[in-house]
Amino acid sequence: MFAALYVARGSSFETLLGVARDFSPRIETCGSREVVLDLDGLTRLFGDAKSIADEVRRTAADRGLRIRIAIAGTRTAARLFVRDRAGITIVESGNDAATLAVLPLSLLARISHRNDPNDPDDSNDPNDSNDLLTTLRRWGLRTLGDLAALPADEVAARLGQTGVAWQRLARGEDPAPLVPSVPEERFEQALDLEWPIDGLEPLSFVLARLMEPLSAHLERRDRGAAVLHVRLHLVKRDGVTREVHQRSLQLPAPMRDARTLRTLALLDLESHPPSAAIDRVVVAVDPTPGRVVQFSLLTRPLPSPEQLSTLMARLTALMGEGRCGSAITVDSWEPGVFDMKPFAPRDSHDVRSHGPQRLRDTENKTCLGDIAASAPRLAIRRFRFPIPARVRVDLGIPVRVTSDRRGISGGKVETYAGPWRTSGGWWVEDIKKCWERDEWDVTLSDGATYRVFRERDTDAWFIEGVVD
Amino acid sequence: MARLESALRDRKLDRTLTTALPTWERRDDSAAVAIDIAALDASLRGGLPRGQLSEIVGPASSGRTALVLQTIAASTRRGEIAALVDTFDRLDVASAAAAGIDLERLLWVRGPSISLGTSIAGSLDPSTAFGARSASDGQDAAVNRALKAMNLVLQAGGFGCVVLDFADVPPVALRRIPFTTWLRVQRIIDGSDTACVLIAPYPLARSAGGLTLSLAGRVRWTSDADRSRHLTGADIDVRIVSPRRRVDGQVSITAFATTAADDKPQRHGDTETNFFTSVPLVSAARNP
Repeated sequence: MFAALYVARGSSFETLLGVARDFSPRIETCGSREVVLDLDGLTRLFGDAKSIADEVRRTAADRGLRIRIAIAGTRTAARLFVRDRAGITIVESGNDAATLAVLPLSLLARISHRNDPNDPDDSNDPNDSNDLLTTLRRWGLRTLGDLAALPADEVAARLGQTGVAWQRLARGEDPAPLVPSVPEERFEQALDLEWPIDGLEPLSFVLARLMEPLSAHLERRDRGAAVLHVRLHLVKRDGVTREVHQRSLQLPAPMRDARTLRTLALLDLESHPPSAAIDRVVVAVDPTPGRVVQFSLLTRPLPSPEQLSTLMARLTALMGEGRCGSAITVDSWEPGVFDMKPFAPRDSHDVRSHGPQRLRDTENKTCLGDIAASAPRLAIRRFRFPIPARVRVDLGIPVRVTSDRRGISGGKVETYAGPWRTSGGWWVEDIKKCWERDEWDVTLSDGATYRVFRERDTDAWFIEGVVD
Repeated sequence: MARLESALRDRKLDRTLTTALPTWERRDDSAAVAIDIAALDASLRGGLPRGQLSEIVGPASSGRTALVLQTIAASTRRGEIAALVDTFDRLDVASAAAAGIDLERLLWVRGPSISLGTSIAGSLDPSTAFGARSASDGQDAAVNRALKAMNLVLQAGGFGCVVLDFADVPPVALRRIPFTTWLRVQRIIDGSDTACVLIAPYPLARSAGGLTLSLAGRVRWTSDADRSRHLTGADIDVRIVSPRRRVDGQVSITAFATTAADDKPQRHGDTETNFFTSVPLVSAARNP
């Protein structure tokens, strides 16, 4: 048994939702003025359908709402009645189709959309419904009973699936089960401290106490945290001045493990410590649907996002911001240029698609693997800041390279190749991005092979790296 | 000498205390991280052992970095993730990409960008604030941070290959690392699927279960002619030392170059059009 509540235009829909939630947790909103309740089990609390309707209407009146109520065996029947009749309408169970038969056909156009067509916010275009309604009227149909009585296969042949759906509505049949509207939940925990605490160590215990119920709440709702907010209410030494220290952490994957969340929050606060003692701690998360993981028997499992997040947070705290992650090659010929991004490897079986494409990729990989196998490539060990060098040049060729820096013994040039002249970045205003130089590969008498270059505008020589 | 060795062998005195221990028994493919160099993998019986600390040692330009990048590339090709703790921020990303590393699967932990033998205050990357210290203090701090970073990565687990780059650490700083450090590292990875690799100028850890690959390399040039010479690669002699695995031996491999001669003539865009030539300028000018 279902009840449809319909509120007058201009009334508070939130209040209507509050009334509905007072009676049943299973409610479905239909547009901005209508709510459908599942009344199963309420008869034991309130009595028969009439008693329930009276109680609902009285509760609404107490809150300043004037509502229509219709109770029927199906949601569709209840919605049609509540649109047609004011006050309270009760339809005995099993009589839905017969009672609906007298209602006008135009009601279908109003409930065929999920949202209210009269609502100015409604984004659905009712033109299609109006066209269908015009067609049905041209056939001489006036009531729901007229449409319900038509043979279903003939309706399908002439009007398609929309016509069939309308006919089912006209018979009072529900197109889908009720989908309960879940109230927006706040995933937040707060704790007021009797005495302000100073430092991160006592804060870790407070965070642990807050994270555990928060994690349990997320688990109950099958949600994970997408963003973690930590708000610390600080009290200054004068005891009067207050301020809020707020940090937000974007998590790479939905997670709800209390220890991980606490560790991440603490590591972030280590880098951005509060400036005064804390007397109130608030932890909130932006929820997101939980993560579904399909493990593979054929590939090595990657560390979980929780482990990786914790590792990255610890490494960042140790090495500094932007010093850990994955390297990205940059589409430029500027020597040594690269970029960094957060380390977020995908599962190997996620990378490739299934089916023939996967097979082709595997074949390609095998071919590339054969080529790559047994063919290591010499690499450059690059000095991020090139080392100034003293180079003796004879007939334009470097013959001796020395440097003041320890670790580079320097010496006579045994073999060389070059120069290769490159330039670029001269079209940008930032002079640091501009280069123009001659590069050489030189093997010195110490046995090492270096890449050196001469800046053409300053005629200064630098060691760029070691070939290794 | 041969007679002496023969006599020692007859009396079973040709082994050290560690080689007399039972042979390492894990023989399946998953017990080692293959380097994807057929000759070397065959000599190593599959590759670098998982759950052990191995070393790749040698002087500059001996091919240490090439071999390590090849190992990481092989690991990422198999779908594993790898980590490189780069003590002095020496990785050249273009070289890593040319080696075939899936960069998305490589965690790169960058230490401070210290130039060799300089005051750390003047040579640090501005993004890291180490403050003004002496060069040795800075190097020690960088080494300690690298060791801590490697410990964190190893403790997190799940990595197929973790590399610690100590190739440019001065011997003085290396000698200050307590030997127990390597025992602790070995303890962390013991029984795990992670192969830990240390790059250093000389053997440091001397792990009983791991391998030491001692490299000696000679770069190869195309020809003796100044006009057309360019770097084509290197011949690398790999001497394998393993106390317990009995895979000692020597292998010669060839590394190919991705250096100026390879890529400069093909450069487009930024490069001046006039110098789109594979012939070195000076040589061309000297040749009438």
